[in-house]
Amino acid sequence: MKKFMPVEELARDERFNQITQADRMADARSAVPANAESTRRSSNRLTPARADASDAARSLMHGIFVGEIQALEGAGRTCWDFTTGEEAPFGLKLDMARQAWDEARHVEISLKLGDWMGSDVGQYAENTVLFQAACSNDPVLRLAGVNRALEGLAIDVFTSMKEFGEMAGDPYLEFCEDWMLADEVTHVKMGSDWLRKVTENDPERRKKALEFQSIVDKMFSYGGSRSDSDESSLGIARRFRELAGFTSDENEHIAELGLQALEERKAQIREKQAAAKN
Amino acid sequence: MANPQKPRAPFAPWDRRELPGSFSVEETARRVGHYKWAEMKLFEALGGWIATVPELDIKMRLGTHCYKHAWHAELWHKRLPELREMNPERLTLPANDAMVRFIEAMTEPEAPELTIEKLVGVYRVFIPHFISAYTYHLNNTSEITDMPTIRSIKFILQDEFDDWREGEMLIQSLLETTEEVDRAAAHQARLEKIMLEAGGIAGPGSIGINTPAPQGAMS
Repeated sequence: MKKFMPVEELARDERFNQITQADRMADARSAVPANAESTRRSSNRLTPARADASDAARSLMHGIFVGEIQALEGAGRTCWDFTTGEEAPFGLKLDMARQAWDEARHVEISLKLGDWMGSDVGQYAENTVLFQAACSNDPVLRLAGVNRALEGLAIDVFTSMKEFGEMAGDPYLEFCEDWMLADEVTHVKMGSDWLRKVTENDPERRKKALEFQSIVDKMFSYGGSRSDSDESSLGIARRFRELAGFTSDENEHIAELGLQALEERKAQIREKQAAAKN
Repeated sequence: MANPQKPRAPFAPWDRRELPGSFSVEETARRVGHYKWAEMKLFEALGGWIATVPELDIKMRLGTHCYKHAWHAELWHKRLPELREMNPERLTLPANDAMVRFIEAMTEPEAPELTIEKLVGVYRVFIPHFISAYTYHLNNTSEITDMPTIRSIKFILQDEFDDWREGEMLIQSLLETTEEVDRAAAHQARLEKIMLEAGGIAGPGSIGINTPAPQGAMS
């Protein structure tokens, strides 16, 4: 078995339909109609009051499910791709194995929740952007991209989903999301701790890792889908992020990235609307 | 309890543990070092394979089993300094070259259509050899002086038996044709021959056969 598996080789059964982030952005169904501004919702947060709440929640749950599969695969690959001692400390690999077990349980939970919410495996496309962030050949960059950026996003997603379960009066959903949230805080903390430890005497490597994290964070903001603005479907779960080792400054940086991505997306929409009118 | 001052036998009638054991401190450390190396190779392989198997149920099981073997490696890593090996890496070694070749052959299957070979290597060859080496160690070490190793082996064996059963059931669920049965058997035989050359997880003497005379043991 080779080291460093490309994202195109992720093994799936025939139910899955994989797409890249580029495919997603180029999807014609994402095109903005000329009257989009007048039909735009004032808030995009997932609440039971939204007319499309059920489908949006099912879609988000499927996104969580495929994200958990990729997180499981990414943690597993970190156990395999790096030589113990020379490339990655023994303790770091033990933590990645632990994370693989946690992610396997999250896949199980997501499958059961998807069933509970009435969706099927493969009902929505699988965006492979998460595994792409797990492909770096530097374990420190992988920790920054996966454990801090990706798992940080998971904290935001699970917090939103837990709140949705609470508002919708669904204790089953709320209970499960809360348990997964506890694991994600642990994973982000693992990333924060190892990043600090491994780059203790290598400030250049740490800088590079944090820059990579910032790129991945922006990528995961999906054109402003996560920010403090109600126009974003996800908020930033500051309290849980701080528990996981993010500083207030880091949380503010992520919030700024989200707003920046949102503004960029809105500018693109305006351009498309203008072009459609002409 | 009539009289708390009355002397009692230090070993209760049901406590039949014996002091003698087959392994010296050095021999125990050597074996534990080989166990740790082998458990590490197993958890790394299971982790790597997760992304290569298309079957969702198997993908999840590999993730679960990956952690169990990492935990076993951690237990052995912590045991080594207690056996006077202050640099655990020094004894974290394969038993011999054949053992290295076994791992190379076991981890060779990569393509998504080779799930049978991946599982056969782990659950029909490697894990049964772990079970036999651990059982031999459990039954032959001093039940008093080496109790910490015994305790770890008991926890580990529970995992090994659970995983062995789960893995075997997954293999049986994948074998749908006689050709697939042949494939599984051929791969098992190929790996078993290399393991025979290796002499087991801890080398010759892993289960007491072909063992050199123990040094410093008290049997």
